[in-house]
This record gives sequence, structure tokens and C-alpha cells, in this order.
Amino acid sequence: MTTLNINGQSYQVDVPLDTPLLWVLRDILFLTGTKYGCGIAVCWACTVHVNGKAEKSCDYTVGAAAGKTITTIEGLSPDGTHPLQKAWIAEQAPQCGYCQSGMIMQAAALLLEKPHPSDGDINGAMKNVCVCGTYQRVKAAIKRAANGG
Amino acid sequence: MSESTISKAGTIDRREFLKVTGGFLLAFTLEEGGNRAMAQAPTAAGVTAFIRIGADETITILVGGGEMGQGIFTGLSMAAAEELMVKWEKVKVEPLTAASSWLSAGSGGIRSRLPTFLKAGAAAREMLVSAAAQTWGVATSACQAIDGTVKNTATNEVLTYGQLAPLAATLPVPAAPVLTPASAYRIIGTAAARPDIPAKVNGSAKYGLDAVVPGMAFAIIKHAPTMGGTLKTTPSVPPGASAVVPLDNAYALVSWLPGANTWALMEAAKEIGSSIWNTPANAALLDSTVFQNQAMQLLGRGAPYIAEKVGDVDAAFATAAQVIERTYTLPYLPHACMEVLNCTVRMTPPTGTPTACEIWAPTQAPNSVLATASTVTGLPKTAITVYPMFMGGGLGRKFEQDYITQAIRTAMAVGRPVKLTWPRAEDMTRDQYRPMAVSRIRIGLDAVGGITAWSNRTVSPSIQSQRGRVLGATGDSNATEGGRALPYKFGSRLVDYVVHPSPIPVGYWRSVGYSINGFAVESAIDEAALAAGVDPLTFRQQLLSTSTDPLAARTLAVLSAAATLGGWSTAVPAGRARGIAVVQAFGTIVAEVAEISAPVAGDFILHKVACAVDCGTAVNPNSVEAQMQGGIFHGLSAAKWGELKWTAGQSNVKNFNKYRMTRMKEAPVITVQVINSGAAMSGCGEPGVPPIAPAIANAYAKLTGNRIRNLPFFPGATMGG
Repeated sequence: MTTLNINGQSYQVDVPLDTPLLWVLRDILFLTGTKYGCGIAVCWACTVHVNGKAEKSCDYTVGAAAGKTITTIEGLSPDGTHPLQKAWIAEQAPQCGYCQSGMIMQAAALLLEKPHPSDGDINGAMKNVCVCGTYQRVKAAIKRAANGG
Repeated sequence: MSESTISKAGTIDRREFLKVTGGFLLAFTLEEGGNRAMAQAPTAAGVTAFIRIGADETITILVGGGEMGQGIFTGLSMAAAEELMVKWEKVKVEPLTAASSWLSAGSGGIRSRLPTFLKAGAAAREMLVSAAAQTWGVATSACQAIDGTVKNTATNEVLTYGQLAPLAATLPVPAAPVLTPASAYRIIGTAAARPDIPAKVNGSAKYGLDAVVPGMAFAIIKHAPTMGGTLKTTPSVPPGASAVVPLDNAYALVSWLPGANTWALMEAAKEIGSSIWNTPANAALLDSTVFQNQAMQLLGRGAPYIAEKVGDVDAAFATAAQVIERTYTLPYLPHACMEVLNCTVRMTPPTGTPTACEIWAPTQAPNSVLATASTVTGLPKTAITVYPMFMGGGLGRKFEQDYITQAIRTAMAVGRPVKLTWPRAEDMTRDQYRPMAVSRIRIGLDAVGGITAWSNRTVSPSIQSQRGRVLGATGDSNATEGGRALPYKFGSRLVDYVVHPSPIPVGYWRSVGYSINGFAVESAIDEAALAAGVDPLTFRQQLLSTSTDPLAARTLAVLSAAATLGGWSTAVPAGRARGIAVVQAFGTIVAEVAEISAPVAGDFILHKVACAVDCGTAVNPNSVEAQMQGGIFHGLSAAKWGELKWTAGQSNVKNFNKYRMTRMKEAPVITVQVINSGAAMSGCGEPGVPPIAPAIANAYAKLTGNRIRNLPFFPGATMGG
């Protein structure tokens, strides 16, 4: 049994310690807001926060996550009113929306580190792949949130 | 929902009207303007319902086709809400039942069904108004529908739609409801907020891959590694799995062990050796170099289909002042949707003879899923329920049925509900790819920049003939779209097509033939302009302003708008160049100006794209802008890096690390101008894609003198995390 602290709740999971966090979230705890994209740590669709830092949950084992504070998109805000979530709606950023959980979590980690990121900061941090091509609106939403909505 | 049905034989179409508990549901059995698939309605339940009004004042619009980011939930709901006279903010959207749904394809989702949704909204409004008039004992002319209520204009009394719904449900459905004039629209034409977005920013939106059914097992698919390979022997169940289900060219590995999960199955599958597969005898010939050589040979011979022939091109070439000939090649491309293929199935009862089947799937074709399920299970369609989930991209891949069939067969084989996932490698290596293509274009020019002869021979695998259709005299229309019926003035023209009999499965990739032929044509036009010594914009403007083609004037307007937006006539910043291209696809005309620089070898920077689009009328200009931006990114990634090669029947691309896509740091600033020309409405999901590759190639040639005729620009690209 491994104890995971996710979105302020404690979960006991019985899986091998090398199981990627992504699949525990999705297939065992049914926290499906975190997405599977590539499974090889390239696309960042599976981004979650571990101790406040953006991590690829497909490349982060349960063993490593034990004892740390994990936040998924479901736990970013209690009611979907994180400044980024509001900004995302204001900019009408998502299209298919599949990569957007990871985008928002990546951006949230960026803003924790740099509340007022430059274009270069945003370009450097936002490595997430979006096949729909929402980058322009995502960038605008990050700036909107950084500027207080 | 089926407790009471009042049927009316309307004069325009047959309608049905259902009472539901505490509210009502307006239903049409036959849509106007539907495609062939819709003409096969009425549905299993006999009813297509579009609007549901709850006693609690909830307004729900039911929309089919499938939402994959293209905005169909928004566009069609806007139409119904417009006529229903409700506030947009109050509207909720749900997927329409599969039996009444349709195929999302050809950028036709909103265009072809807008009239139906306008009419459904208007009919419901008139019935609610009639109900209010009856309640008050006044004429309907004394009643006014406002924001989900009906007001008595004499007394200012108000009844809500929720209050009126029970009585309205007993009234006849108007045969010809009065539609709102476009000049009075409150919602259509505005940047109405998409109702699907809030759920997409908090993790609650459910995609196919997010389906959870109590007691479900997990499964993954593993196909024969060589295209055309089959399963020779069913492998024994490896540790970490519960069952292996043989599936012709694949097996499903299933687990219902405690802690079962998709990753554990991917690990377990590594224990299964390769001796279980039959490899096809021709595997060595399934090779990209072989394919390319075949295509080049077919270019010079083979019996072509004549897609378009006007005048005598041979005579015109003989007298041309100048003739140029150029050959363009494009590779196979995977769809690479962010959400891999998947499908969840529950049979009832789980074992033995089934009486019911439920399917949760990301699908562009809910009605096709219903038909597939009926075939595979032997159940009537009335015993099958399809829950269309959000799609994490569709791009033309998610109306295929392979993954649906596999999931149903797996659930039936193991006797329990199953979620079947395609690991990313399966999604990339068992796609139905955009066809590779070779086009040879010859252009005869006169002395003053006119084109007297145009010939274009395309060689590519045929999507239609691979699907068993017998090609007519003009060949595969998908293979030549974007290459024929060009709006330019050509003195003569010949567009022909040779089928390349490559066995690699091909399919519908966002914009289909238009992205292939658009690249060849708009690159060749640019090369002709250079040969004629005329500015590429001016050259196109001349070919359009002198053309009698019915789309020439609109094309000219769009082209000129994009040129203005992109600052074509202004000085280009040092180290940069601009290129332009215009392509009509699915009735929508899009022109794009790309501004690039290339400071280092093996790369370019796309700084800006100016895009002008004429789709007749934009229902939601913000959605149109989003689709243009999305199309440009899709086309940009494909042009710059997109390529999938074959060696001995195996794809070299198995994941995103070998299939580079544009990311934030490479993202251009895209400006979109939506032109409401008033022409017939046309779709926007795909037409943003085709112009960007030639616009970039044209800019790149101007900047570097190096004309890229073989895509991608930079083969062999990789992507790190």
C-alpha cells in the first residue's frame, strides 16, 4: 500500500511502486482530468503539480510521489475559479480541450514561480503540445491571469 | 421520454412532439438539408429531438455529429436559441442520441443543419406563445417571447417557458414557423461563449478515454507490427493480465486483476514475443523508397482518370511563350490526435446471448457506431445505446470503425465491461494516413503574365478505391479536390489522376485532398509568377480579375483582404520575406500571408500569419477565428516536419518524439479577418489548413532562393519534452 496525498485527500493505492502516477490517477482513482497523450514524457498532457512544481505524471512514479503533495486539475481550485481557469474562459482558449488540463497546470506552476512572466518565460515554460493550435489564446489567457483577470 | 407521443404529418416534414416529465421535448423525425445518412432517418426511436425545456427553466439543445473542438455544439445551439428567444447564457448542450446523429465530415456540421435548428427553435417558440395565449385567453399577437418567458403585452403578465411547457406540449406543431430575419439576430453572428469550455478548464469534461463503467476491465490493443500482418497464434496470458482476445490482425490484452490499469497492460504486453505474428510476403516492398519510385513511374505512364479538361492544352503548350514544369511530393501523415483511439463497451447480460449493448466512444460518426455495433453483436439498433463522448481531436480519424469493432468483440469475449485503449504507438502505426502524393504541374505562359495552358497530373493512393468504391471516369474526387475547378483564368486546362496502388491504408486527414493539391497548385502558381516576372499577388489578382469562374470575384476579394492584412505592399522587415496563397475548400475561401525568417540552416521562424476567410456567413466569428488558427497550426506542423516513412512494412514513427509538432515557442501571431460575403454558408473546420504550406514555401523561396517542392521542409525532426 502506498499513501498518496492528492488534492488535499489521502488515498491508499496498491500498485507496484514503479507505476506512473498518471495511470493511478486515471485508472484507479478515476481522476480523469489528467490526460494520457504520449506516455513518453514529451507532450505534457499529463501535467500535475508535485509539491507545487509541474511534473509529467506519465514519468513520475507512485513511489516517488508518496509523501508529497499532489495537485491535479480537479484540485486546482475548489470551484473552477482559479484566475487561469477564468482567463481561459474569457479568452475562449480550448478547442477540443484535451491538452488544456496540462496546459493550465503548467501555467499555474509558472505563475507560482513568476507571477508576471514575460513572453520568453511563457514560451520557455509552456512545452505542452496542442494539436488544435490554441497557443495564441493560451498565451493571452496566461497574461490576462497574470494581470489580475 | 416515450410516455406520450403526439404525431403530426406536417406539410414540410414529419414532426413529432414528446411530453417529458415536467417539461417537453421538441422533435423532428426528418431533417431538412441533411446528407444521405440523415435521409435514412427516421431513427430507432422514431424521433429526433433537438430542444428540451425543463420545469426548472433549463434549456437544453441536443446536437449530433460529435464535438471535437470544431464548435458544432456552439453553432447549432446558437441557431436554436436564437429562434427560441432565450438568453444564450441559459443554454446547455448535450449530445444527440446516436440514432439521430450524423457524420462530422466535410466541414459540413453547421452549414448543413443550421436550417433545421433554426426551425426547431422557431416551432418551439410558437408553441410556447400559443400556450400563453390560451392561458390568458388572448390572441397570440398579444404575446411576446422574451428571454425564456412569454409576456402579455396588454397586461405585462409574464409566464416562463417552464410554466408553459406542459400546455405547449399538447399543442399542434406549427407546419411553417416564422423565422427571425437575419437583421434581428441577437445571437447568430456574435462571439457567443462556447458552452463546452467551462468543463474543459476544470477537468470535468468527459472524453472517450475518460469513460468509467462500474466493474469494467481494462484492455489495450496490440497490432501486428508489420502492415498487413496477422495473428498466427494467440499468445498465452502473460503475468499482469487476465485474458488475451485474438482479433485478426491484433490481440487485445485484458485485465480485471486488482489494481488493473492501462500501463500495467502495456508492461505485460512486453512479455509477449514476436513469433505470434504472420508477416506478409510482400513486407520488403512496403517501403517508402519503393513507394516513391512507383509514384514517379506512374507519373510518366499509367492510364489517368480525367478530372477536368477544358480546351486543348497540347496546342496551347505548343504556342506558349514559356513553359515551366514542376513536380511536388508529399508524404504519408498520421492524424496524431491528442486523444488516442479508445472505446468502452458494456454488454447486458455480460455473458451469453446479449440483449443490450452500450458504447462510450469518441466518435465523429455516432450513427455509424450504432450500425457497427448492430453488425458485430447481432442486436437490433434499438437494443444499442451509443454515448458520444467529447473527442480529444478527431481530424478525420474518428469516424473509422476499427477501434469500435475491437472493443465490442473484446467485451463479448471476456464477458465483462471493457475499456479498450490504443497505446500511442498503436495509434501512430495503425492509422489510416493522409495519402502520399506526387503532382506534376506544367504551365504555359504568354508574354504578358497570362496562363494559356495548365496541366496537373496527380499520383496518389485512392481513399475511395481502398474502401471498395469503383471509380468513375473522373477518378477519386478526394484525390483531385483542390486541384480542379480552380478559380483562375487558364486558357486551357487538364487535370488528371493516376491511382497509386500502395497498400498502406489511407483515410481522411483534415481537409483531405485540399491540403495536398493546395500545396502543389499554389506553389506552382508562385513559380509561374516568378517565371513571368510578376509579383505573386499581382499575378494571382490578374488571373482572378479576368476569370469568369463563379468563385473568382470572391477569391479575389479574400486574397486582397489577406494581402492588406498582412501588409503585402509595405516594406518587409530585414531578414524576412512574405508568401501568399489562397485555397477554396468545402466552399470556404481562405487566403494566408506568411511572414518568415530563416536565421539558421534547417529551420525557419514563422513570425506572422494574416488570414482572410469567406465562409459566406459566420455564425460565430470567434469560432471561425479559432478554426483558422487551428488549421494554420495543423498545416504548419505538417509542412515543416510532418512525415511518416515505411521500412519493411513498419512505420518509423511510433510516438510524438519522432513526430514533431509546433509548440508555444514556435507559434506565430495569427490575425484573422472574417469576411461575411453573404454567399451561401460554408464550413470552417478544415479550410484553414491548405494555404499555409504553400504560403510558407513561397515565402521561403523568396527569402532563400530555395524552392521547397518536397514536403516536409525539414525531414527527420524529433521532439523532446
